[in-house]
Amino acid sequence: MLTFKQKYREELLALSFLWPALLILVALLVYPLGDVVRLSFYDSNLQREVWVGLGNYVALFNDPLFWKAFIQTVVFTFFSVVLHLVIGLALALLLNMHLNATFRSLARGLLIVPWLLAPTVAGMIWVLMLQPFGVFNGLLVSLGFLDPNGTISWLGDPSTALGSVTAMNVWRAFPFFMVMLLAGLQAIPKQLYEAAEIDGATLWEQFWHITLPQLRGVMTTIVLLDSIWTFRAFDPVYVMTGGGPAHSSEVLATAIYFDGFQKLKFGYASAQAVVMFVVLFIVSAIYVRRTMRNV
Amino acid sequence: MPMVISGRLGQRGRERLLNTAAYALLILAILIVFFPLAWMLSVSFRPNIEVMQMPPEWLPQIFTLDGYKKIFTTPRYLVVFLNTMVISLVVTLLSLVLGAMAAYALARFNFAGQRAVLMFLITTQMFPLVLLCIPYFRIFITFGLYDTRTSLVIVYLTFTLPFCILMLRSYFINIPRDIEEAAMVDGCSRLGAIFRTLVPISYPAFVGAGLYTFLLAWNEFLFAVVLIESWENRVLTMAIYSLMAEFVTDWNAMMAFSVLASLPLVVAFIFLQRYMVQGMTAGALTS
Repeated sequence: MLTFKQKYREELLALSFLWPALLILVALLVYPLGDVVRLSFYDSNLQREVWVGLGNYVALFNDPLFWKAFIQTVVFTFFSVVLHLVIGLALALLLNMHLNATFRSLARGLLIVPWLLAPTVAGMIWVLMLQPFGVFNGLLVSLGFLDPNGTISWLGDPSTALGSVTAMNVWRAFPFFMVMLLAGLQAIPKQLYEAAEIDGATLWEQFWHITLPQLRGVMTTIVLLDSIWTFRAFDPVYVMTGGGPAHSSEVLATAIYFDGFQKLKFGYASAQAVVMFVVLFIVSAIYVRRTMRNV
Repeated sequence: MPMVISGRLGQRGRERLLNTAAYALLILAILIVFFPLAWMLSVSFRPNIEVMQMPPEWLPQIFTLDGYKKIFTTPRYLVVFLNTMVISLVVTLLSLVLGAMAAYALARFNFAGQRAVLMFLITTQMFPLVLLCIPYFRIFITFGLYDTRTSLVIVYLTFTLPFCILMLRSYFINIPRDIEEAAMVDGCSRLGAIFRTLVPISYPAFVGAGLYTFLLAWNEFLFAVVLIESWENRVLTMAIYSLMAEFVTDWNAMMAFSVLASLPLVVAFIFLQRYMVQGMTAGALTS
């Protein structure tokens, strides 16, 4: 007959190491999630709470601003991720060619730098560059693409605001894809290419039939991760445009922040946060399932 | 036979051509990617009158250190650097210690609920952080921690701790447990064995996870905006944002501030690139 202590020896030992981290994470993640779900059924300014049932959700689905922010979040995420992937893959392929080793590590190091910057700092640099009399317009004028009297206010024009934020986000975060894909490329067995060369495969065929299939695992992982990270992103939009002009660059994260902390409609903001959580949860579930397979 | 040789030469020539193109394209990419950084640096050294010019001057016509001087002579700007440094260091230290303990449990023991814990940790990395802002705001007001640097240390753990646990776990798992067991047979306690064998062997994982944690804490913005009110508790990212309203067109000082805010990470990267890249990429491969 085993005593409790003997039977659960491993569990008790594990728990003795695990409990501080788990306690912190449960307190900081599980309890607040419950609190937000609860709050989403109330009309609340955090001082006074009135039960409204599904009222916030009904209002949400009839709110054109919510849908605008939702669609813009999807557009922002889609273009950010696709451009990260295309630019990251192109640069990874270039870095993986027969280059001088010093040049390769120097080029890789230099190309990673934007990723070190805080989104706030990166956003500020772009705000400066994209001013009507900023250097970006100056460059376009110098190259003859733009009339000196017709400079564009990239962040002040509703048709270019979201695109400008996306451009900044592409610039700041592509190195993640480049580094991950380069690591993926270096893991492909050389024999595969040697065999293909003997069979007379062209470079394009090698890329299409060896490189891409071999990279599929890494690509799926980073596309999922980046989609999640970009979908929930707050800093780039908040810093560069504040969601404006006229909500033309509003995303869910900024909409939730403004509804909560500026309009003090915490119940309504919570309902939006719950919808955002559900959408993210679906994408996350795919990612978690993939990752758990290798655990 | 001659056909084969000429075919080979052709191929080698083509490879050389492709390689030259690769060098050219990479240099072009570096120039484009570095343009915003070069502009930040250039503006930080020029008077404001030279910032918005059409057509632009690429190099400062008048070289000035006024922007940097303004920051170094204003105590309330300097305190922001100190705050960020202290908060980031404390978060890094806590994440590594608590993370290593949890990682050890997950790597070395087989226990009921292990997969559930792992799944929970991976899921936490996908949380929309803006969702957490509302309850945190409430909770910290209730506990009297609103507008304190402690509140930031606590909430930063929500995203740094899972990352550290997962990264350290994947490293520990590949270290044979015989090494610790040998030390334990030699009379070490379990903790003694961990500190004498596992921790020194895994230093690359600690450095990588630590650097990335430091970067995440240093660059965080959203929680700082929600949880901090007064200047003396502010961190860099938030100060930069507030300065945009305060300086309005003082881009020279803004960019000097941005350069100084980015410098610690860039310097760390120059010396510890290998570990840092390892930490940055581990987030996606923590399996």
